[in-house]
Amino acid sequence: MISERHCGVAVIGGGPAGLAAAVSACEAGCRDVALIERDRLLGGILNQCIHDGFGLHRFGEAMTGPEYAQRDIDRFSELGLEPMTESMVLELSKERELLISRRGEMLRLRADAVVLAMGCRERPRGALSIPGTRPAGIYTAGAAQNLVNLENIMPGKKVCILGSGDIGLIMARRMTLEGAGVEAVFELLPYSSGLPRNIQQCLNDYGIPLYLNTTVTDIIGEDRLEAVQVSQVDEKRRPIPGTERIFECDTLLLSVGLIPENELTRMAGIEMNPATGGAAVDDDFMTSVSGIFSCGNVLHVHDLVDWVSLEAAEAGARAAAYALGESSRGGSIVVRPGAGVRYTTPSRIGGEKDVSIAFRAVFPGRDRCLVVSADGREILREKRVRLHPAVMEHLGVKAADLKGCRVLEVSVQ
Amino acid sequence: MKTDYDVVVVGGGVAGCAVARRLAQYRINACLVERELDVSLGTSCRNSGVLHSGINYKPGTLRAELAVRGNAMMDDLCRDLKVKIRRIGKLTVALDKDDIPGIERLHAQGQANGVPGLEIIGPARMRRIQPDVQGIAAVWSPTSAIISPYGLTIALAENAKANGVDIRLGWAVASVNVLPQGRGFEVRNDRGDMLSCRVLVNAAGLFAAKICEMAGIRDYRIYPCRGEYYVLDKRLDGSLRALIYPTPNPKNPGLGIHLTPTVDGNILIGPSADYQNSPRWTGNRASAMASLRDEGLKLLSDIRVSDYIRTFAGLRAKRTPPEVGGNADFVIEDRPDVKGFINVLGIESPGLTSSPAIAEMVLGFVKNHLALTPKTDFNGVRPGSALSFGERSPEERADMIAAEPDYGEMICRCEGVSKREVLDALDNPLGARAFVSLKYRSRVSMGRCQGGFCLPRIVRLLREEFGWKWEDFVNHSAASRMFAGYVSTGGKSDDQ
Amino acid sequence: MNEHREYTCIVCPNGCPLQVETSGGEKAKFVSVAGNLCPRGARWAKQEVEDPRRTIATNVLVDGGALPVASVRTLDAVPLRDIMAVRESLKEIVLHAPVRAGDIVADHPAGVPCRVAVTRNVPRRG
Repeated sequence: MISERHCGVAVIGGGPAGLAAAVSACEAGCRDVALIERDRLLGGILNQCIHDGFGLHRFGEAMTGPEYAQRDIDRFSELGLEPMTESMVLELSKERELLISRRGEMLRLRADAVVLAMGCRERPRGALSIPGTRPAGIYTAGAAQNLVNLENIMPGKKVCILGSGDIGLIMARRMTLEGAGVEAVFELLPYSSGLPRNIQQCLNDYGIPLYLNTTVTDIIGEDRLEAVQVSQVDEKRRPIPGTERIFECDTLLLSVGLIPENELTRMAGIEMNPATGGAAVDDDFMTSVSGIFSCGNVLHVHDLVDWVSLEAAEAGARAAAYALGESSRGGSIVVRPGAGVRYTTPSRIGGEKDVSIAFRAVFPGRDRCLVVSADGREILREKRVRLHPAVMEHLGVKAADLKGCRVLEVSVQ
Repeated sequence: MKTDYDVVVVGGGVAGCAVARRLAQYRINACLVERELDVSLGTSCRNSGVLHSGINYKPGTLRAELAVRGNAMMDDLCRDLKVKIRRIGKLTVALDKDDIPGIERLHAQGQANGVPGLEIIGPARMRRIQPDVQGIAAVWSPTSAIISPYGLTIALAENAKANGVDIRLGWAVASVNVLPQGRGFEVRNDRGDMLSCRVLVNAAGLFAAKICEMAGIRDYRIYPCRGEYYVLDKRLDGSLRALIYPTPNPKNPGLGIHLTPTVDGNILIGPSADYQNSPRWTGNRASAMASLRDEGLKLLSDIRVSDYIRTFAGLRAKRTPPEVGGNADFVIEDRPDVKGFINVLGIESPGLTSSPAIAEMVLGFVKNHLALTPKTDFNGVRPGSALSFGERSPEERADMIAAEPDYGEMICRCEGVSKREVLDALDNPLGARAFVSLKYRSRVSMGRCQGGFCLPRIVRLLREEFGWKWEDFVNHSAASRMFAGYVSTGGKSDDQ
Repeated sequence: MNEHREYTCIVCPNGCPLQVETSGGEKAKFVSVAGNLCPRGARWAKQEVEDPRRTIATNVLVDGGALPVASVRTLDAVPLRDIMAVRESLKEIVLHAPVRAGDIVADHPAGVPCRVAVTRNVPRRG
């Protein structure tokens, strides 16, 4: 027998986005909020991010991940809400029905509104087509972080890291602190994809070399990893023959990209934004399916959790409004990335309210201008001293400037 | 466990395990020894999983005869062993006029081999089977099927064990002492442990020629020939309704790179074919990987980079050297010069298909040496189901969860594997405890995130419920330790 | 002979690129800084030249808890050169569940004056 239940707002994912959305939905007047989390703990990825730097914008202090999560977890319980932990959503329908599996029970939950906050998974080795053997000792950086910080397990002693994104850099520091030797970080691009201050405090502090324009081209070792071969790459990111070098190591950490976990999103037939890997949403964070909202990393990969919480709070409030019967406003103005911009979120806006557009630059640059144009007419120009693809940027656009507009474009000049 | 047996089977691949399970039906003492930490960890876990119809082999060869016979035995075997089999059929396609003689030859060869249901069909019928298939004609072989090769091998071994066959894992044969007057053999491993037997079945795959040499038989040499594969995401499940092969080229040491759907919903691109010296190295090379990607895209233009979730390689135990290529026949023989030594050697494709028929043939040879009385209490039916938990309807799952709460707790998100299934996999009758043993029995870490999500959860589960320590986690061999120690030890050394 | 160094300020997420002038040599003294968007950056640059300090985050073993370890962090920055010794000294500690965020587990790790606090709750197991 599948148990049947109903709720006002169902939030899928109990990480920072889900927590903020659930709290916000409740504060916006919907008491019947189901927060569904597959792990034993709430907090999502923050549970394993034990370093500080979270909450500087939102709380004015640099907290560790668990401390940041606890703020929302406490608020959640203050509101008298009980989460559904160790519960996994297996299916989501367009009609906002969730099939949930948990210990001892299979449950069908009908929701008046749904907030998708499932976060991301990491890109595995297979997607990179790295040649060589398949020995023990190869981990994605996040899985290694989980093992070190939550399982008290040291994955290895002599480490190479592929990918200079923040997770890779953080793990370079983490492994060094725990006594491993981190031999090198390899980065495919001509620049690091992580925050510049992480290069300082994760690599420079420990004398860990960063090799740009470099990738792993062979894995050596039949039982446990023994070495990796790296090569330099050309402007098309292809390995250059003759540039091979061997690095002896017993561990390779892969920090080569986060993929928003949109299996459920696709199952519900929701329209995707190909540039973000997440759903296409309007300025209420509602997707193409009425009553289903999306926020956080599953919508687009964030670099600062503070923005996740802000975005999710808005999505949660809009979901509650929807559940309480407020009709959705819809969005007919298309928002799209122009020159120098990789993506923009939301994908469409209504134009009746001021909106914050999130986006990322394609290339790093200094002293650039961000330009917003409505139907080709420039309505906003802002200077940026430093632009980097690793940093999510926001631009505030006023409703007054959007009258009669059909297409809004953000570009870098 | 005893150390004196009637029969010792060397090698826990699909052939050895099929022999073991056949012998389990008789009142004899039998033991299977396997060098790796589990059965099926050699070639048997690294192939296309195809059950061939028998059209590809020269009439009168063992490959032809045993493939047809083995294929016919598979439905009953899989039903009893609870192994998933899908009879999807195969189209061997003629792309243009030049290929027509080839497929006509194939059809005639198939008829000569007694392959049931063969037809040559035209484009209309071809497209009803596979809507977007290219080509002007094809041989349609409806008995071609797909199966999990490691699923079958493990099932054979576990059922053999359940019926009294001893299975020794991590037992690598280091020497074979042929006893005088045809009294049998003493087999020793690399630790000096000894087993004695009247009959020795050599099903040692890539090491079969070495085992022969240990017994003084120098007639054979095995040439490892590597076949590389890509595993594609289940997003593409349904793209292939049947097996689609090109018209074979006799010079090719394999059947060419093609797409194979798996019983689990993935698609394989492969295999390539490259000879190599090592009987153990199963890595991938950039050049072969590039060929696989190119060929894959030609056959299925919808493939995206994000669809490549894994690569692997398997080694064919070929008897033909690189300069000759092609295929030699199976060697399945009862040696007249070494009494009681039975060879099952050079078992490349169609080894998987032929395995139950190989076991029949070996049984016939064993009867030359031992009186075989059937067991009255043989139970050939394995417990459980061919359907995985995640394949059942939500209602069925709800009932199973109500009865057994651990079915409700998800461990592997990508493949939908529950805690109950992980615990069952851990509790396997062979006592295999490598990570791959959990993987091949439950599917954990075989999905699109390749263990990124489930590995820490499995570590936690095994630590909390069974007290596993960091050193207990090995990937596929004793030397493949997954971890290096604890982070904090509270002042104690890592050994405590 | 004055030296020029480039740093990325780590005080806040802005990560201002700093051009720092020092007096050069082994025990360099801070001379000037450019590129900081706020005075905290200038203070950090001086600290970084003359006495670089860091906060660290690591784990401490917990006995009988729902998790095997509790995350901890230094509430005060410690000299860069002492980081490894501070971490090492925390390996000896075994806390007993329940553990609460904010509990101070050390105040002089490896002889370095620095409070080390737990950053998450770890309830008792079961």
